[in-house]
Amino acid sequence: MPEIIKIEHMTKDYGNGRGIFDFNISINEGEVYGLVGTNGSGKTTTMRHLMGFLAPDSGSCEIGGINCRKHSDQIMKRVGYVPGQIDFPDVGSGTNFLNIQAQYLGIADMSYTEELIDLFKIDTSAPLKRMSKGMKQKMALVAAFMAKPDILLLDEPSTGLDPVMRDTLIDLILEQKKRGATVFMSSHIFKELEDTCDKVTFIHNGKVINTVGRDLYNEDMPRLYRVGFADEGQYLEFKDHTGFQIQSSNDTYKHLMAAVPMNEMNSFVRELSNYDMRYMRYVPYSLEMYYKNNIETGGNV
Amino acid sequence: MFSLPLFKQSVKSNWVMWASITGVMSVLCAQFSALKMTQPLLFVIFYGMMTTILPAIYVLVTANKLIAGQIDRGSMAYILSTPVKRSTVVFTQGVFLVGSLVAMFGIETLVHLAVNAAKPITLATALGNSDLGIQGDLTASMIVQVNLSALVVCIAIAAVCFMFSGIFNSTKYSIGLSGIFVGVNILANMLAMFGSLGVSGLDKFKYLTICSFYDYKSVLFSHNDWITKMIFPAAIAVAALTIGSAVFKKKDLPL
Repeated sequence: MPEIIKIEHMTKDYGNGRGIFDFNISINEGEVYGLVGTNGSGKTTTMRHLMGFLAPDSGSCEIGGINCRKHSDQIMKRVGYVPGQIDFPDVGSGTNFLNIQAQYLGIADMSYTEELIDLFKIDTSAPLKRMSKGMKQKMALVAAFMAKPDILLLDEPSTGLDPVMRDTLIDLILEQKKRGATVFMSSHIFKELEDTCDKVTFIHNGKVINTVGRDLYNEDMPRLYRVGFADEGQYLEFKDHTGFQIQSSNDTYKHLMAAVPMNEMNSFVRELSNYDMRYMRYVPYSLEMYYKNNIETGGNV
Repeated sequence: MFSLPLFKQSVKSNWVMWASITGVMSVLCAQFSALKMTQPLLFVIFYGMMTTILPAIYVLVTANKLIAGQIDRGSMAYILSTPVKRSTVVFTQGVFLVGSLVAMFGIETLVHLAVNAAKPITLATALGNSDLGIQGDLTASMIVQVNLSALVVCIAIAAVCFMFSGIFNSTKYSIGLSGIFVGVNILANMLAMFGSLGVSGLDKFKYLTICSFYDYKSVLFSHNDWITKMIFPAAIAVAALTIGSAVFKKKDLPL
């Protein structure tokens, strides 16, 4: 798959340590790519550069070989964008807004737009100013997806959506991927990134920490189990004597997290059968854990 | 270069303000030119003050809404995330602003022409002063010329407000500086008017206001000063529009 989005040594310094510094991101055509970071880490700034709204202090970003800042109008023919900050033009109802967007985008056939409106269950006849946060977000999503763009830049697309709608959004993103679209989305909700993204880049305080691919969820990776003990003595005994690696433990609540290699599941259960357990729970390894292990506690931040 | 959907959008979100100001201006114009009681104030009050104050209010609010307001709110993102160039946006909005002023003065002029055709008045009456030794009636061509002179000055005010709107991302700076500019010009114009009515010392204020380039007296006295005076506001308008567009095209947008 050819590279479609290229960010090279891009720096934008807002002073006081704010901004983004020496970003390098490469996204191939057809990929769903996630950008994760805390508030103020530079997600929106990155998106704004790709949209050509901001000019980098140094470095560059390109979409499809075209410089994002210099020829953004050419890029916009292929891009759908959900801004991080949702506020609509002063044009009355939602229907009005979507019709005007369709004119800008040169869409004559509104059937896909209607489909999206049904999918998100929006009452577009309502005035934009009266819409709730979630409704506004759904309007923004329809506006971004309605032209079936090749490239989708989604800045925290699930903000304000209820859990059901968030799942609808995830399905929609996967559908876009299926038809070959490239999706670049930022989020701090790990679930939606896990369910959709092929690759995820972690950023913190304006710096790229690292990029992980799907192989983060390697099938052969040790599985994590959380075990709660009824008795403190047994808890300590297991903690001190087991051959399994203890990832974390909590003495107050007498539970611990053990990493169990795939082929040692049986011996793990056999060993535990000697103990008085309160519960045992499988903990899927998630981006969130990765984030906590590598970013928050990592020395490289 | 020009985006019809954006133009329609601007019409949709600004027509109420435009229609009310145009309405007020037309009604005032009809009143001042038709009623015996107010006819002597037609030029001193209506053409002297109203034709700059009313459009200036419209322009102050609208110029800010056309660019800076949409960036501050973030709604400009929906326009710029489509294949519409920034230069197209600024050009279209500029055309709308200038065009709406032309339409405003066009309607007001038509109203005045209609009233004047029905009830012609002499220049002496219209100026409220028979000591000037001025003869004859107020003609249709004079009305058109006076309005043209006022229009060009209003376009210059609009252009300066538009420039601030294009330069700043934040409404508070855009409307603040536009407000100061409009306020100073209008206030100085009013003080200068009192100066011209005989309050000595105040006439110096005419050097502080762009409205001095609007010279209805020169039209009424059949001088050609008003034509040469139009060059300055026209130049200011062109310069301000150019600067505003150039900055808007280059600057960083927080969208």
